[in-house]
Amino acid sequence: MSKLISRSSFLKALVGFGAAGVSGKLFFDWAQNSQPITYRWLGPSMSFGHKIRDSKRLSAPPSKVAESQKAVTIIGGGIAGLSAAWWLKRQGFSDFVLLELEKTVGGNSAAGKNDISPYPWGAHYVPLANVESEYVRALFEELGIITGYNGSGTATYNELYLCHDPQERLLKDGSFHEGLIPKRGLQESDKLELARFFHLMHEFRAAVGADDKHAFSIPIELSSRDAQFRELDNLSMAQWLEIRDFRSRPLLWYVNYCCRDDYGASTANVSAWAGIHYFAGRRGTASNAEHNSVVTWPEGNNFIVERLRSQLTDHIVTGTAVAQLKPEGDGIIARLVNGESQNESLIRSKCAVFAAPRFISGHVIDAEHSVAPHHLTYAPWLVANISLNRTPEGPGTGLSWDNVSYTSKSLGYVVATHQNITTRAGKTVITYYYPLSDLAPARAREELSSASAGKWAALIVKDLEAMHPGIRREIISVDMWPWGHGMIRPSVGFIWGDTRRNMQRNIGNIFFAHSDMSGISNFEEAQYHGVEAAKKVLSALGHGARA
Amino acid sequence: MGIGSFLSKYVGKNVMLTFVQVELLIGVVGGSSAAILFMLFEHVEHFRVLLYAIVAIIGILVGLEVPLLMRILKDRLEFKDLVSQVFTFDYVGALLASLCFPLVLVPHLGLLRSSFLFGLLNVLVALWTMQLLQKELPWRRSLQSVAVVLIVFLVCGFAFSEKITTWSEASAFQDPVIYAASTPYQRIVITGGGKDIKLFLNGNLQFNSRDEYRYHEALIHPAMASLDHPQKVLVLGGGDGMAVREILKYQSVRNITLIDLDSQMTNLFKEQLMLTRLNGDSLNDAKVHVLNQDAFVWLKNCAERFDLIVVDFPDPSNFSLGKLYSDTFYRSVKRALNPQGIAVIQSTSPYFAKNSYWCVVNTLNSIGLRTTPYHAYVPSFGDWGYVMASPVEFKPATNYPQGLKFISAETVAPMLTFPSDMQPTVQSINKLNNQTLVHLFESEWGEYVETH
Repeated sequence: MSKLISRSSFLKALVGFGAAGVSGKLFFDWAQNSQPITYRWLGPSMSFGHKIRDSKRLSAPPSKVAESQKAVTIIGGGIAGLSAAWWLKRQGFSDFVLLELEKTVGGNSAAGKNDISPYPWGAHYVPLANVESEYVRALFEELGIITGYNGSGTATYNELYLCHDPQERLLKDGSFHEGLIPKRGLQESDKLELARFFHLMHEFRAAVGADDKHAFSIPIELSSRDAQFRELDNLSMAQWLEIRDFRSRPLLWYVNYCCRDDYGASTANVSAWAGIHYFAGRRGTASNAEHNSVVTWPEGNNFIVERLRSQLTDHIVTGTAVAQLKPEGDGIIARLVNGESQNESLIRSKCAVFAAPRFISGHVIDAEHSVAPHHLTYAPWLVANISLNRTPEGPGTGLSWDNVSYTSKSLGYVVATHQNITTRAGKTVITYYYPLSDLAPARAREELSSASAGKWAALIVKDLEAMHPGIRREIISVDMWPWGHGMIRPSVGFIWGDTRRNMQRNIGNIFFAHSDMSGISNFEEAQYHGVEAAKKVLSALGHGARA
Repeated sequence: MGIGSFLSKYVGKNVMLTFVQVELLIGVVGGSSAAILFMLFEHVEHFRVLLYAIVAIIGILVGLEVPLLMRILKDRLEFKDLVSQVFTFDYVGALLASLCFPLVLVPHLGLLRSSFLFGLLNVLVALWTMQLLQKELPWRRSLQSVAVVLIVFLVCGFAFSEKITTWSEASAFQDPVIYAASTPYQRIVITGGGKDIKLFLNGNLQFNSRDEYRYHEALIHPAMASLDHPQKVLVLGGGDGMAVREILKYQSVRNITLIDLDSQMTNLFKEQLMLTRLNGDSLNDAKVHVLNQDAFVWLKNCAERFDLIVVDFPDPSNFSLGKLYSDTFYRSVKRALNPQGIAVIQSTSPYFAKNSYWCVVNTLNSIGLRTTPYHAYVPSFGDWGYVMASPVEFKPATNYPQGLKFISAETVAPMLTFPSDMQPTVQSINKLNNQTLVHLFESEWGEYVETH
């Protein structure tokens, strides 16, 4: 006891404790992180797709290949292609085939399924249909999504499909609150700006141009051509916000969130027309829901895909790509490649509907000069489905359909089991959306290679841990799906510019259909172009009797 | 700690002895404090007083430590070294402890074990001090034996702290727990003390055998007796078989279908003698068919029609239960009713949660059913609410089965009137996409729990 602590022993002890602390912390982190997370890197058939891109380098087809004939060939089995087929069938026309490169149809509305629940890999909801969205309403009526109309003509929706309550919650300043518009920690000035912004959007929603059309319609093709609205396409959403003197950080966060959510790009990379369309386009109403409601299913929009597919099974050929589409005589000849056998075959038809993403049309269609691929920008996305042993709750508002964090770079997650009418608590699947909007698209696509799967899984888990500390221990698996060309970006000038106008034109009897032609990637746009292409095909074939 | 330091000046001659005693006391009080608080939580009315008292005792003892230690060391060191040495250990030790406790010990050992561990450390310090000061310290032997006893006590506490937690959970129930199981859907606890057998699901009382006849007679007979020769009955929920027991009192009944999600629950009430005595072995009756399925999904796909549908779900305390009180669900109920049939729904208390209660009534009205709200006094629950809903108007029965203890033509009549303190202040309809009922229920019962 009589010994003193010398300076050197004190310093040694200090260093010793420090080293022990640091190595303890490192060991602790390592022990936690070394618990391996089970992850899988899935995604579209990229190698097959890329092979088609490079197909010009393929050898010429052998002289004797199987040949068949169909009046109409539809290329691509996403919503646009399926809708074209649905319309043909609806009009009593059945001499057509639909070719899909993947093993299943669905495109961006793909879905997966495990023991716990089905879950979406992409598009996962549709807003209430606008009055002008005729084709959407026709389909919704057919599928029982709209069950009828009340006395004043307002649609009644199937309540099992309307998004159940609670719908949205935002994690801000330590706890969740209801809704995605920031509510907590606002200055008086923030509140005023939010009110001013939503008032403006309300005016845009009601605005009608000189041509008597709504300024913002769904599909956008039906929007007013009035210059005062079209001008908004010539500046970015960020510029428009600045011009209108919007500076509130929570407001700017919210608008940016919405642009990333719908277009996979930040306000700086989205035209103001598109940015405003998100807030001003939806005028759908329901007799039994609020005006801003949506319909959704555990498997997302694959619910619709599955119902379309089941009535088109005789027409759908999957795992087959079109390597070449060539006008010949008064018809079209399509060269097909089977993904598994690599066997080639030919289909001769009178008309074709090209409903695949437009950036590949130049590789496939010989006479395609109308659209230069570099005029199209696509937002890359990463979607992950995470299976959990327990539902993630957290402080404040309870688990909702859509769950977002104010500080995360992701868009948060939706809960696949939200629409369930079972009382089973516990296990669930959450679908996590991450648009790579911080990087240039080409650079971002490089980041989305399977080599970095582990890194992405770790990043997703870290992000979820920040929202729900301890969630790591509840994770059963993380499945990831990269969308290199996830959706077209409505860049400045794209929606009312020349490129998009040229995209609408047919090449002989090849008609185009894809949401790329809208510059906005959603169900309504894809369906509209699909049905429109089908109508053009029917009129080219002189099959107009039941139209 | 200030008080302790102040009191240290009254420690006269035996500074060393007091120091060792203080260390031992900190060991035993501090070490067992968490366990004491944990065990007494359910039993002490003014828990905060107890909490502050224990914190105060520990604070005073700790406050004594440093002054006593400095006095012990004052003759052995120079003043500047003494101060430097004592405070270095004090501060560095405090830092380490405050980092270790929340970051390492509590997450890995749990609160109870961590606190026993700290207590153990203090007793070891006391032992070590005895060793160092063996020449100057009086009563060394007895102090050592005390320390050994304390070590044994604290080690036992450390080893059995799991047991303490379980015992404490069990003591959350007034009576001895005679059965407890966690199923994939809920935690089932049955307690039995004296004559009362009680069933708790997720901690909420479902019935007390003393007065459950009141709840179940009121649930079944007003509707059932008013029907003309009811034959087919559907019971949704009610896996305890009590409602079925009441239904079986009608000779005309040919077929009862019971849908309850939890097979462990229905098996328990089919097999356990003590429980089958309560429900009259109703679930084993040949007329009864038990299906362990989700009520909503089953009913949505059901093509049968029933004379009576009994809807006896837990209160709408969460969103997945709220869906079972929605207009969409009631449409399925309506579809499964015979033209003259009646559905009866347990619908929480119109006294404690009046807006929730009337929301259920409104929701049933909104889908075009005629409703007959009524309520009955069940001592274990309070004034409890039910709703009958039917395509046709309700006409109360004049005859009831023999041997009922609560329901009769005379007692049913007043059940149909509601005093003004049970009238609603808001009108709303519960839908899947607004879950109004869950929001109302949360605010009404939340208020009640807060003020009681």
